[in-house]
Amino acid sequence: MGLANTFLHRVLCIFLLTIFVGSTVHAQTLTKKQQDSAFLLHPGQERMRKIKKSLAKAFVNFTGNDLSLYGSLNLSKQKINDNGITAPINYLYNSLNNNSYEAGFSGGFRIDGMFKEKHLYSFSLGINRIAVGNNYQNIYSLAPFIDDFTHFKADNVFTTLNITAHYKKLLPVNDMNKYKFYAVIGPSFDYKISSISEENLINGAGNRAIINGDFGGEFDNKGYYVLFAHYKYGVNIKSSSVPIQLNRFEIGMSIKTKDLF
Amino acid sequence: MKLLYTLLIAISTFTLFSCSKETSTTQANVMNNLLTNKNWYLDYSITEATNSTTPVVVKSYVGQSTYFITYLKNGDTKDSDGITGTYTVELINGASQIHKQLKTGNGNPFEVIYNIISVGESNMVLSKVVTGPATKLYFTTK
Repeated sequence: MGLANTFLHRVLCIFLLTIFVGSTVHAQTLTKKQQDSAFLLHPGQERMRKIKKSLAKAFVNFTGNDLSLYGSLNLSKQKINDNGITAPINYLYNSLNNNSYEAGFSGGFRIDGMFKEKHLYSFSLGINRIAVGNNYQNIYSLAPFIDDFTHFKADNVFTTLNITAHYKKLLPVNDMNKYKFYAVIGPSFDYKISSISEENLINGAGNRAIINGDFGGEFDNKGYYVLFAHYKYGVNIKSSSVPIQLNRFEIGMSIKTKDLF
Repeated sequence: MKLLYTLLIAISTFTLFSCSKETSTTQANVMNNLLTNKNWYLDYSITEATNSTTPVVVKSYVGQSTYFITYLKNGDTKDSDGITGTYTVELINGASQIHKQLKTGNGNPFEVIYNIISVGESNMVLSKVVTGPATKLYFTTK
């Protein structure tokens, strides 16, 4: 209940902040002070303009860049190796270990484009709400009284911020002018932004950053929408006393923002 | 572009709000949470004695109806023998211990220290810290 309250509080804060910033940047009428200021030199703004120009030059080879919104269903499972835990804590193995894929969801933005008019790519930025099944690699016992326990209780629901870069290869399947099939491969990065339980922090087990290797397929229906299915194999970036492998299947759809708004 | 800036600020705020790290009390807190607000029934008591050649295990079945102890969230403890007092979970040189400041029925204070061999949601093994052979106490919540 407390965790749910904390999460709702955070979501509310971000919502209010977003409205505040959005309303600030969209204000159209200029005050007297702002009108006076418009005639003055602004070194900061000049610097920003130069940076934008140089960025545009640097990314001149990245063309297309269609912005889309995406949503997906995730099926996730994690392998947990708690060999490094020294705390004298036991959790009954059968109550924690379900060794199955659990369903979560994701949403965010995605940019599809072409590098040097030859190589197709996609970049995406999103938020994942991951529910995960647990597969504990080690079973301990304290004979003759406590059978089958683990030393660690992994969080099985968490939120991550995800950044992905995929290379796309058009497959010679069907009529490629109408329906396009792509094979995709590339890295992605997840950072846990939800709070980590105290059980997950013991003996330096807490680890927020996950690097993934992705591959999968995508289907583009005449540019109306893209259906995609990806597999992600993730490991902790930093060494941890409890190394975790996160396996995910991601099935979803993206639609171009210009078609939506 | 403005929308992207807004999103970036929102995500940064979300990330900053969410920081949590291990502290020196994390392990003690977790063990304390597992320990509290339950009746721990003593199932077995095992004393490992040694003779000149091989260790001798003296196992005695206590039975759940005979003895139980409760650790409360506010730091108080009481057992079925009527002994009351306070307790703390501490990490001393890497060893997890329960320190109890108790009073007998007559009001005489005394201190007992147990090493935590293992503690969970329904099973706990403690070792009494005394000179001589160690006694292991096996508790369950059943």
